[in-house]
Amino acid sequence: MSEGLLQTPFPERAGAALKDTFLQEALTIATTKFIDLRKESFAGFPAGEALRDRARAIKEATLQHLDVHLERLADNVERLGGTVHWAATGEEAREIVLRLARDRGVRMAVKSKSMATEEIDLNEALEHAGITPVETDLGEYIIQLAHEKPSHIIAPAIHKTKGQVAELFSRELGGRFEADPEVLTAVARRVLREKFLQADLGITGANFAVADTGTVVLVTNEGNGRMVTSLPRIHVALMGIEKVIPSMSDLVVFLAILARSATGQKLSSYTTLVRGPRRAGELEGPEEFHLILLDNGRARQIASTLREALYCLRCGACLNVCPVYRQIGGHAYGYTYPGPIGILLTAMLKGNESVRELAHASSLCGACKDVCPVRIDIPRMLVELREHLDREKIASWTERMVFRVFRRLLLSPAAFRFSARAGRWLQRPFVRAGRLRGLPLVFGNWTRTRDLPPVAARTFREQWKELR
Amino acid sequence: MAARAEFLERIRREVAKTPGLFGASPAPRPAAPAAAAEAIRRELAERWPEALERFRQEFERVAGVFHRAPDLDAVPEVIGSIARERGVRSLVTWDPAVLGFDAAPRLAALGCSVVAARAGAEDEASRLRHRADAAGAQLGVTGADFVLAETGTLILLSGTGRPRSTSLLPDVHVAVFGRDRLLESLEQVGVMLEDLHVDPDRTMSGAMITFITGPSRTADIELTLTRGVHGPKEVHAVFVEVP
Amino acid sequence: MAAPVRAALMITCLGDMFFPEVGVAMVRLLRGLGVEVQFPEGQTCCGMPLFNSGYHHDAALVAARTVRLFERAEHVVVPSGSCAWMVKTEYPGLLKHDPALRAAAESLARRTRELSQFLVEVLGVSRVDSPFEGKVTYHDSCHLLRGLGESASPRALLRGVPGVELVELPGADQCCGFGGSFSVRLPEVSSAILDRKLANVEATGARCLVACDAGCLMQMGGGLTRRGSAVKAVHLAEVLAGEVSR
Repeated sequence: MSEGLLQTPFPERAGAALKDTFLQEALTIATTKFIDLRKESFAGFPAGEALRDRARAIKEATLQHLDVHLERLADNVERLGGTVHWAATGEEAREIVLRLARDRGVRMAVKSKSMATEEIDLNEALEHAGITPVETDLGEYIIQLAHEKPSHIIAPAIHKTKGQVAELFSRELGGRFEADPEVLTAVARRVLREKFLQADLGITGANFAVADTGTVVLVTNEGNGRMVTSLPRIHVALMGIEKVIPSMSDLVVFLAILARSATGQKLSSYTTLVRGPRRAGELEGPEEFHLILLDNGRARQIASTLREALYCLRCGACLNVCPVYRQIGGHAYGYTYPGPIGILLTAMLKGNESVRELAHASSLCGACKDVCPVRIDIPRMLVELREHLDREKIASWTERMVFRVFRRLLLSPAAFRFSARAGRWLQRPFVRAGRLRGLPLVFGNWTRTRDLPPVAARTFREQWKELR
Repeated sequence: MAARAEFLERIRREVAKTPGLFGASPAPRPAAPAAAAEAIRRELAERWPEALERFRQEFERVAGVFHRAPDLDAVPEVIGSIARERGVRSLVTWDPAVLGFDAAPRLAALGCSVVAARAGAEDEASRLRHRADAAGAQLGVTGADFVLAETGTLILLSGTGRPRSTSLLPDVHVAVFGRDRLLESLEQVGVMLEDLHVDPDRTMSGAMITFITGPSRTADIELTLTRGVHGPKEVHAVFVEVP
Repeated sequence: MAAPVRAALMITCLGDMFFPEVGVAMVRLLRGLGVEVQFPEGQTCCGMPLFNSGYHHDAALVAARTVRLFERAEHVVVPSGSCAWMVKTEYPGLLKHDPALRAAAESLARRTRELSQFLVEVLGVSRVDSPFEGKVTYHDSCHLLRGLGESASPRALLRGVPGVELVELPGADQCCGFGGSFSVRLPEVSSAILDRKLANVEATGARCLVACDAGCLMQMGGGLTRRGSAVKAVHLAEVLAGEVSR
């Protein structure tokens, strides 16, 4: 993630996003569409609720024996003629890919969309090593040309207008293209088709990996996942360790709910099951298959309060319903993974300090938990993160003092009653037409945009004497 | 291998620290996959007309084009009419031995060139030639190993005589299937996948299984749906009445 | 004749200080329905602001106090979905290290209900003879809706008032942007979320916006008066007690 971006405090980044009128409109349209599609899909799918419970149980059960499943997966991949690599950190994963690419004389690599490769900044590393990575998912291709980062987990270029895309293509590819999605899609099809056919290396992530059979599973819509895993002579799949599942019987449970949660489709256009490199009788397919298992901070969460975040299927449903994400979009979060789950994943991968501001970028409304296909209790973990920030004294001294005073008031009825009297007295200069306006300090954060009711002339407990 | 042992050991240590959040099990698996698969086939042998109708509805819902042919001999004619309508000049197909019919004669009569994948020609020169043929073809003809009614999905196994690109590179994909391929639910697909993988070297000659649900699509630009991003713009399914 | 239902009122910190009229309306409403209303005087707050900001040790102290204060109440009625949620779902966990307190918390959780839940589940109310008249729209507070699974009772009660015309609010289940300290930590985002909510509210043409949570009412009411809107934000209790002025 661009370090420059992170130097501005989060509230400023959020503020800038709020003023971006195109972004605001794009976010409203896109998130509303995704919400409606998902709702409609589950409304017509009564079996869905039970399947979500089952999916959650499968993820939990898998974590309880994660080492066993990963070992089984690795053995099966190797038995199929694939090679398994073990990357404890993002840096190790990058090194593995670079070493492989250099040894095999790779000049150009085509990539199917993979958040894991974004997480480890793989493209930058490839470019520095003189290898050209080409993103082939249309949204990723667009932002790659624009030198930007994705702003949504499944719709990376949601923040761009068709006019901007047309301009971008015209500039980067030479030509003059209409601001028409059909035209622009056709351009991408033509340009990227050449890349698929010429590339030496195909890089993907993995939505799932089936331990019992050594199968890596990709869920896509465009066809680039199929191209990347069949045309180049080498296929490398980078996978977070939490993506392993025990068997094919488990796989179909997830397939039943993943696309519905992400886009409202029953199934995505393509689900690709890859078992190692091509077999002896095949005309097509890679000669080599490499599976890189990535830890990068995940294992540490198995016994921590963020364990549940390891269930995440990367569907993006929580982003679409989050009142905060819907207002500020993905870039303002500042890290690879935005939205509610993004805050937890960032804490997981980069430590609690990295989310000292983001942990509060939530009204705890719970809409995310409602739509999560595996029912991850995101609000609970956000509150627990806040608890850690307090315990580790990461929150500011002023804040901790304010809450200490607050606690005093709540534990003493006399102090509480006194604070009402004090409030009535202190507020006098700020009362206008029965409302509080223009308050100082942190209260000004409220009254800048909203009125506040004044402390009542008589609190309820003061009136109780007559009421009883 | 130091990296592997260390890596797994770290995970083992973390797993040992906690019983987990709640008692949970993975999905139940068929105790006898072959028998379970056979049971499904028997059930579908009765229920195939309903499954076919459901497939047709779901397939059309994802913009698939559905056709019927009375028997295998009639299939090339159906393909021919699709080719004519779309102005197709060159086709690639799976090995006729796999398909159960040879489309070449009929299509040649219409002025189209047909390249069929043949088993036993997997040297580098053949690979390159096949890739060029597939990349230049406008229509690809395959079979379908399973046809899923619940979602309108075609499931294809890659392998000898059944290349991956046939259903991927051309603009139009035509899949031909009979009633014995029909399945009703994803759950049944799970059983079939379990069964296939009991002895995968025997059941599958390739390394890829692809589920195809409609044409290639994206909505990445302003959420406007467009088809034929990288894969086919059109998918056709031809149901053969008489097996 | 059955013994009267006895209910202790948990007024909440915001209710006590900023919306005492809601407490008064509740007392009148409940007494009108034959309930004997009590008010344990040492109460202050349920502790949720401390809990949500991560000060769990402090929140546990407040929880312990509250549990003892309401120990003898047969029923506890709360005019706030978020406070009822706090007591019902979070108190037992906060007090888990002390078996006696934990048991007391679990007992309190069982006896505590948000107002609309109390009216419908305990008193079996379906129709309230309130003089209130007019078009209203209802906002689902997050903790009442998702935390306690309650969306039907408030609507049923509103429809049960003869003069009420209930218009469904588009995006009723979307957060109003309050989120406790969120509203002042990220005020611009909180206000942007609020604007979206209020646009929907005004589009309904309702004269009153009804909610069951003081935090939501502070946020939405504060936004409505700031923009000079004719729509008034009121608590369900005020509609049912016929105590909405104007």
